[in-house]
Amino acid sequence: MARIRFKSVTKRYTGDVIAVKDLDLEIRDKEFVVLLGPSGCGKSTTLNMIAGLEDVTEGELWFDEQIVNALPPHRRDVAMVFQSYALYPHKTVYENIAFGLRMRKVDGAEIDRRVRDAAAKLEIAHLLQRRPSQLSGGQRQRVALGRAMVRQPAVFLMDEPLSNLDAALRISMRAEIKHLHTAMQTTFVYVTHDQAEALTLADRIVVMKDGVIQQIGNPDEVYERPRNMFVASFLGNPAINFLEGIIARGGEGPLFRCGELAIALPAKFAAGLRDRGEQAVVLGLRPEDVCAAEAAGQGLTLAGVVDSVLPVGSDRFLGLKVEGRDVFVRVDKEARHQEGAAIRLGLVAERLHLFDKASGLTLAGEGAS
Amino acid sequence: MTAMPTTPPPAIRHYRAHSPLRRVGRGVALAVASVLFVGYVLAPIAWLVSSSFQNEREIISKPPHWIPDVPTLANFSAIFAAKDKAVTYETRKSADPASGGFIPSTATNLLPAMLNSFVVACAVVVLNLLVGVPAAYAMAKIHFRGRQASIYVILATRVIPDIALVVPFFLFIRNLGLLDSLWSLIITYLAVTVPFSVFVLVSYFESLPDELDKAARVDGCSRLQTLLRVYLPLARPSLVAVILFAFLASWNEFLLALMFTQTPASQTLPIIVASFTSDFTISFSFINAAGVLAIIPPVLLALVFERYIVSGLTAGAVKG
Repeated sequence: MARIRFKSVTKRYTGDVIAVKDLDLEIRDKEFVVLLGPSGCGKSTTLNMIAGLEDVTEGELWFDEQIVNALPPHRRDVAMVFQSYALYPHKTVYENIAFGLRMRKVDGAEIDRRVRDAAAKLEIAHLLQRRPSQLSGGQRQRVALGRAMVRQPAVFLMDEPLSNLDAALRISMRAEIKHLHTAMQTTFVYVTHDQAEALTLADRIVVMKDGVIQQIGNPDEVYERPRNMFVASFLGNPAINFLEGIIARGGEGPLFRCGELAIALPAKFAAGLRDRGEQAVVLGLRPEDVCAAEAAGQGLTLAGVVDSVLPVGSDRFLGLKVEGRDVFVRVDKEARHQEGAAIRLGLVAERLHLFDKASGLTLAGEGAS
Repeated sequence: MTAMPTTPPPAIRHYRAHSPLRRVGRGVALAVASVLFVGYVLAPIAWLVSSSFQNEREIISKPPHWIPDVPTLANFSAIFAAKDKAVTYETRKSADPASGGFIPSTATNLLPAMLNSFVVACAVVVLNLLVGVPAAYAMAKIHFRGRQASIYVILATRVIPDIALVVPFFLFIRNLGLLDSLWSLIITYLAVTVPFSVFVLVSYFESLPDELDKAARVDGCSRLQTLLRVYLPLARPSLVAVILFAFLASWNEFLLALMFTQTPASQTLPIIVASFTSDFTISFSFINAAGVLAIIPPVLLALVFERYIVSGLTAGAVKG
């Protein structure tokens, strides 16, 4: 049971390197929060501060009703899973899992019960007498999870726990971690740079860049209504397409213009565009947000030339040249396109994104909230 | 069926094409080189051991006898019996040098000096570990201000030759009133050995992943517990290297011991053995027997820790 609150927390390393800047964040009890961002964005530092492994330079860190700035890690009720697993090489699997309990002077019989319980759940019961060097990567990962599980901590921290696993194992472990969260009913904070992992696991995603939070929201919010261009580009695979252009006034309403291309902008941008003259903007178009040209409304079509055809089994992607720029779209799997052929595609008005070019912020009123 | 290729297959390269003769020749050359090297290294020790079982006359015989004709334990018994004999200028010739019973005037001091050496070496080893291990852990794993600087300062002290430190050490020891005390040796040997121990341990601790440190602390260890329960068991090879280094450095040290010790109360083995060569007369048989006793403790130590030595010596050389 723990609610974690950051109040204007800044982390500065020697040499005045700022890892985290003025962070305000509340992680609710039993919530699964994913800190997402590229390397060096401060997400791991944030996690280490929760664990107590890094000092808070400025600001306050609260666990429930207690300031924990000065509390060393062994006094905080947290457990952590590391990217490299960090198993103790000189101990058996059993002792690795039991170590945290032994340090907390848990009764021997209770330790044994919990270790065997966790091992059974993680399907590593037959490995208990082995040493970490005798295990595969996936097995080590399970031991690391087990070591954290048996502690029954108030806060469960994970620092890119799946990034050393191969792709197939990563996906199955994602599901297991999700089950673990449901079963343990405790607060999870999970750090990753993998947007798919974040979207799969999180109750809420905290997108960070350069030590500053870019957006906090549930996976749908962050994906559908990114606050700025960074968030829009960081989530989604293949990444969102950006087209630079200007706003022009058409008969029906504002138009996005990029060379010959003119796209009628939906009403959701009206508020953001009001009182603005002709200005440089960036249109964001996710690869999956296109449809047949006939199905789209007036002024909502995109004309281009097929530059490349990329089937990936379940889907088919096209690389287009639109006004000299590369645009990547997902099309019907059955569709047949020739490279070099002209193509017209429809756009889904409600799914278009528009950003101010200078600030990178969204021009959609609701997304900005 | 497709047509067989008409071009001949490329000649198969025989990686073991060298003739058996060449291979044997290579083996012989290696063996000879090894024997020469081992002989070069071990010959003095073999002679030391062999001559310690010879009497004075046999030692100086030509050609020398590598295997004693008349092996004798008289040299060793003379060491242990030395207590009962007082040798003065007048009585110096009372024993026959050729019998091995001839002993130097300072012979009585040999066993106490061995004990002194042993006490000093053990104390230096223990204090090296007590000081070096926490220092190295802190430097390797705690990112405090001035960490890099402190590592460089410690390394820099290793560049200063001992002889340059003799006078400051002497003044320091004299002002502390520790001249002719074992403490003078323990303190100065620590100053010489601790930097190297810390250096070896820092490199080793740095090669152990930081995440182990984090995992242990999240698992409930304080810094000290992390060090004791996680790092020490993993650092065993480097600990052995430190133990051996500190022990041998103290056991063999001559210069500082010569400066600070004046009486048998604090004189160590190298000082006493050296004094045998400047006595009324010189007994090689006795000196060599003393030499054999002097190498026994380090050899035993090396045998005990043998399997850790190689990995300990290379510890920290390669990270990962």
